[in-house]
Amino acid sequence: MPRSIWRGAISFGLVNVPVKLYSAVSKKTVRFNQLHATDHARINMKRVCSVEGEEVPFDQIVKGYEISPDRYVVIEPAELEALDPKKTRTIDIEEFVDIEQIDPLYYEHPYYLMPDTGAAKAYRLLLQALRESGKVAIARVVIRQKEYLTAIRPAGDNRDVLTMETMLFSDELIDPEQIDEYPDSDVEATEREVKMAQQLVESLSTDFDPSKYHDTYREQVLDLIERKAQGEEIAVQAAPEEPQEVPDLMAALEASLAAAKTEKKKEPSKPASKPAAKSRNGAAPKKRASASAPKKRTKTKA
Amino acid sequence: MSKAVEVEVGRRQLRLSNLDKVFYPATGFTKGQVIDYYTRIAPMVLPHLRDRPLTLKRYPDGVEGPHFYEKQCPSHAPDWVKTVAVPAGGKVIDFCLANDLPTLVWLANLADLELHTSLSKARNLERPTMMVFDLDPGPPAGLLECARVALWLRETLGELGLESFPKTSGSKGIQLYVPLNRAVTYDQTKPFSHALARLAERLHPDLVVSKQKKELRKGKVLVDWSQNDDFKTTACVYSLRARERPTVSTPVTWDELEEAHESERPERLVFEAEDVLARAEEHGDLFKPVLELKQSLPELAAA
Repeated sequence: MPRSIWRGAISFGLVNVPVKLYSAVSKKTVRFNQLHATDHARINMKRVCSVEGEEVPFDQIVKGYEISPDRYVVIEPAELEALDPKKTRTIDIEEFVDIEQIDPLYYEHPYYLMPDTGAAKAYRLLLQALRESGKVAIARVVIRQKEYLTAIRPAGDNRDVLTMETMLFSDELIDPEQIDEYPDSDVEATEREVKMAQQLVESLSTDFDPSKYHDTYREQVLDLIERKAQGEEIAVQAAPEEPQEVPDLMAALEASLAAAKTEKKKEPSKPASKPAAKSRNGAAPKKRASASAPKKRTKTKA
Repeated sequence: MSKAVEVEVGRRQLRLSNLDKVFYPATGFTKGQVIDYYTRIAPMVLPHLRDRPLTLKRYPDGVEGPHFYEKQCPSHAPDWVKTVAVPAGGKVIDFCLANDLPTLVWLANLADLELHTSLSKARNLERPTMMVFDLDPGPPAGLLECARVALWLRETLGELGLESFPKTSGSKGIQLYVPLNRAVTYDQTKPFSHALARLAERLHPDLVVSKQKKELRKGKVLVDWSQNDDFKTTACVYSLRARERPTVSTPVTWDELEEAHESERPERLVFEAEDVLARAEEHGDLFKPVLELKQSLPELAAA
């Protein structure tokens, strides 16, 4: 079950709705561990003091802000919390707007807001008011030392739950005109071309069904991992001491063949299994496959 | 152009067209004869096609016209044609499965002269049911050189406890199949076949190459191990080939291969549609063990 990442209250006017915040996203990205290529041991990250070269324990690490090269102001966590204690516990609704007025570019990350103990009724009230008015609440909230602009609205599909989307501040969004390739406005398409393009759009128009789409790249990566895991090439944690050489399959094949040959000469009944000495004699027919004609295994009716 | 005819094949209605069109001008072999061949060889070939993702190689104007590969089962396929969805390079391809006679006839009518199958079955695409060595001669080397390499491979595989079965490619070379039919992945068959190809190359440097490079292959036989891959397909046994004459990828016995090799008569390893039907009557399916024999790759000795 997902765990809530924050507890507080939505506040607007005189109403206070205690809520818990849950991320609405479970990222499915495949995560890899870093391994040492030669022995497949895990790579450890160490926090090392750049002056002493020694590892530094967590309790000796503080936050610093670089005000000019190599000059830092050190900030304690308590100092940050003291800045605005109220804001760190509430989601302050500032206004209500029509959803169409929000450019989706602003949306950053979706969350669910769930009613906390005793908040069922107030939560329901807010949900219903938003749904019936068709409006979205614009609110501010501070989570983990960062203030967010958020949009609160009922979930789609008529689910009785409030969602909160964190949004970018307008100065965080890059103005596209700052990009060199910003499209020229004096290029024009003819009416006929536009009409044709529209027809194409029309012919491909359908209802959006997100379940139709899968992360096929991820599926392939997982598939690759599964296949490798089933085969022999799993990166096994090497025992720290003994470094192993990658076996040369061709040499192994040769050794097995040599073993099979010598065993056959001595005792034809025993199956080849033991490692061979070395010997790369034989098996080099000049013209024909081999003089030691292989047993006739195939049955021929004719 | 001749008219289309409606036929009923195994309770399915099919519309066959252009039956008189000559597909192999060198012999006058028509599209109707292609469909007839596939209909009559069906009892032999269907078990080998069954449940394997199929790549079509279509020649709408016969072997001298343009051709195209088709992995995605055509959208106009009748709804009774079975398909399997295979993820490939970010998208999903629905491959045809030629599981029954109506599908086979329908494919022949699409001018799908060559049937190229996966080494895996649809329900377990990671697991090849066999390992294949495709022996491809670089002129002036030909079938005899392929036969020599095949015999060496057979003996070597035999020493490792593996039985193998040869077929002509129906084109220039010979293909060697090692039935597995056990839990094994391409991650095992690929390095194994590669190692064996390299060993063949080292022991017979004047006869064998293991790399695709064209300039290396002159007068030698490429032991192509790289088809042991889930994205590759190989011409199925009993498939017609789009050569000058309607030659077929034909299973042969080791005796036949040895005889052709010793008497230096490569033409004994060339079979056309009619020959193959006669052989099927006489021998039954020489490739049946490829579907049935269970073998495991040997554990190799420490080198």
